[in-house]
Amino acid sequence: MEIADAVVIGGGVIGTSIAYRLAEDRNVILIEKGEVGSGTSGACDKAIFLQSKQPGFPVRLAKASKEIYENLQAELEEPIEFKKGGGMIVIEKEAHLDFMKEFVKKQYKAGIDVNLLDRKETLAIQPALSETIAGSTFSTEDAEVNPLLLSQAFAAAAKRRGASIQTYTEVTGIKTQDGKITGVQTNQGYIATELVINAAGPFASQIAEMAGVGLTIMPRRGVILISEKVEPMINGNILCSQYMASKHFTSKSEKNAPSYGIGLSLGQTESGNLLIGGSREFKGYDRKVEPHVLSAIAAHACRIAPALNKIKIIRSMVGFRPYTGDGLPIIDWAREVDGFVVAAGHEGDGIALAPITGKLVTGLVNNDSKSSDLLEPLKMDRLQVV
Amino acid sequence: MSDKIICRCEEVLLSEIVEAMKTGAQTEKELKLKTRAGMGICQGRTCRPLLEQIISFYTNKKIPQASNLTFSIPVRPLSLSALAHTGKDYKNEN
Ligand SMILES: Cc1cc2nc3c(=O)[nH]c(=O)nc-3n(C[C@H](O)[C@H](O)[C@H](O)COP(=O)(O)OP(=O)(O)OC[C@H]3O[C@@H](n4cnc5c(N)ncnc54)[C@H](O)[C@@H]3O)c2cc1C
Repeated sequence: MEIADAVVIGGGVIGTSIAYRLAEDRNVILIEKGEVGSGTSGACDKAIFLQSKQPGFPVRLAKASKEIYENLQAELEEPIEFKKGGGMIVIEKEAHLDFMKEFVKKQYKAGIDVNLLDRKETLAIQPALSETIAGSTFSTEDAEVNPLLLSQAFAAAAKRRGASIQTYTEVTGIKTQDGKITGVQTNQGYIATELVINAAGPFASQIAEMAGVGLTIMPRRGVILISEKVEPMINGNILCSQYMASKHFTSKSEKNAPSYGIGLSLGQTESGNLLIGGSREFKGYDRKVEPHVLSAIAAHACRIAPALNKIKIIRSMVGFRPYTGDGLPIIDWAREVDGFVVAAGHEGDGIALAPITGKLVTGLVNNDSKSSDLLEPLKMDRLQVV
Repeated sequence: MSDKIICRCEEVLLSEIVEAMKTGAQTEKELKLKTRAGMGICQGRTCRPLLEQIISFYTNKKIPQASNLTFSIPVRPLSLSALAHTGKDYKNEN
């Protein structure tokens, strides 16, 4: 039997970020059933977008996270390929122009440096785009990071602080006594602890259930096409206004919206591969992507960026966004049992929000009043269904 | 020992694979994430069996019957526009 001050469940960007912060003054064990970063955090894009977030609290949270990113590479002493390459949201149809104009105005007020560009200005930055687009919004504040390296870097830095990172280990049960957490059972043994952090991303509901905690986080499937290596042709990251509509307005049944929640996300890795996304679907944990979803993503990308037509796609990648329902994660103590923290549900923003999540969880367990301002809107009970 | 190229697409040398294993990589996926072996245009069609042999040699694990690395569609490189044309959405989109 092992003993730990805290057990973090899940070795994605969220769990590793938390383990790193908690390990500063605690004896931490992180449990991951696969490899570090082998879940959603290894099957996603690399964007740290500010301008795509809803004005108000989501922007504030993303900004706080971005601030940590500014020095993260030096802090972790590991390469994470953090780059401030800027971000663009392409406005394809004139019909989206008014909605995006409003959005930019609000973002500007929220303190994000974002500008509305016309077609010519847009093509000057991204020559790969179609001549028929209406314009774009562009922000130099948007950045990117290599998510594969990020989880590895957090895990390595946590280890240096004395944390134990146990991979190929699956949590099978959580022990409680008199309404308190007492330990975690894995397929490799038992760990006695009074503090459990549930950072299992799209599997957070299953973990919560083991502790008798009610939590609804659903997997929202996303698919990305990956191209062969090509010369640099995309600057920073690109989304399309359809993506914004898919992301923020799914409930308002938009007429003429493309199938499978398709919205362009486009970026190029340091190695030269293009990441061409993406879709948003509720399909359980099914990894078998229907061919028509892939072709729909390809068709959408070809139309907005015809320069990609001839580029060869070498594989696809499937990830499950942890979906809470309102686009924000849950970072909170469970009500049902003492010693159980939920830090999951980052949906499509987990890479952007990983640094702040580690700090907020530490603030939560240390009862640090500095964090309460950002923690308040992330409480569990905001989502209680009627 | 003279060095050898294991992954031709990403130009990964045997020495790099061995180095990655020394620093903890134990599986094809870990080797792939550390060295990019298998991430190139052929998606491991050439280096997969080599990687399996190397891992087996250094860890005494059996060479797996079925590969540990997942294959994802498309199974052969396909141009984006060709992929677009395979679906019914193509007409709606254009
Ligand atoms: C297509 C796509 C594109 C995206 N693009 C972006 C982007 O550009 N920018 C951005 O900010 N975000 C993006 N995201 C979102 C981001 O990937 C996620 O929000 C983030 O990866 C979630 O991290 P996580 O650590 O919570 O979950 P995960 O990475 O899934 O980690 C959870 C871990 O828990 C482990 N686990 C589960 N059950 C158990 C158990 N019983 N025992 C032990 N371990 C267990 C799993 O193996 C897994 O590794 C994208 C997502 C997708 C799908």
